[in-house]
Amino acid sequence: MVVFAAMTSSLKGLPPGLVSADLEQGSARLSVDANVYSLDALRAAAYVFMDRCYVFLTKPDEAHFAVTLSPKDGKADEASLTAWVGELANELLATSWRLKIADENRPLVETITSQAFAGALGPPSLDELAAFDFGDEAPFEDPLGIAQSWEEKYGKKKGAPDAAAEKKEEKK
Amino acid sequence: MIALRFHRDLYAGVAVDEAVKAYARFAQFELEEAPGEWVVKITARTPEREKKVALELGNMALGLTVRKKEEKS
Repeated sequence: MVVFAAMTSSLKGLPPGLVSADLEQGSARLSVDANVYSLDALRAAAYVFMDRCYVFLTKPDEAHFAVTLSPKDGKADEASLTAWVGELANELLATSWRLKIADENRPLVETITSQAFAGALGPPSLDELAAFDFGDEAPFEDPLGIAQSWEEKYGKKKGAPDAAAEKKEEKK
Repeated sequence: MIALRFHRDLYAGVAVDEAVKAYARFAQFELEEAPGEWVVKITARTPEREKKVALELGNMALGLTVRKKEEKS
């Protein structure tokens, strides 16, 4: 008996070179260009269909993968096989895009995660803060003087005349 | 008898082994190694049962391969 045989007919509306079907066995096969879709994306897309279809992966040559789908519900007419293959092709594109985004965001996710773990270790001690090296440059700019204490910003300047003493002298 | 050929680039060998063990009580299995492939020969009481076991085995091997890949990463 043959389970995943060479497909015999094409499906209406789908490119015959890429999609073929075996209506007798109730399965359809999609050929996937390995230069366009990664193996991880292919596996992820195939995984999505495993609850509704029997899925089998093959590699007919170095440049191509092939996915064979056999619906579990037994409905394997041309229309339903066409729908299954179309859904698989869409899912393949979606998983490829998700993997690309995940790869691009990986450094950001790792940075945030490591900072979260570092924060979970607890606040630094006073000794650690005192020993912290800000480097050569100032840690931040403070043009409005927000980081200054009230005394530094509004307090009496050294050598400046005492306002209270001046008032006393005026009264005299 | 049905022969399923699992490509080594696509399926993890451990996953195929585990899937075969899981279905061992439903059919008889014979494992062979071919260049670039693991070949699993399935023999059951009826052709329908052979086909059913082969389809389920393929799904399980793929599922385990994906899960093992996720565990590694």
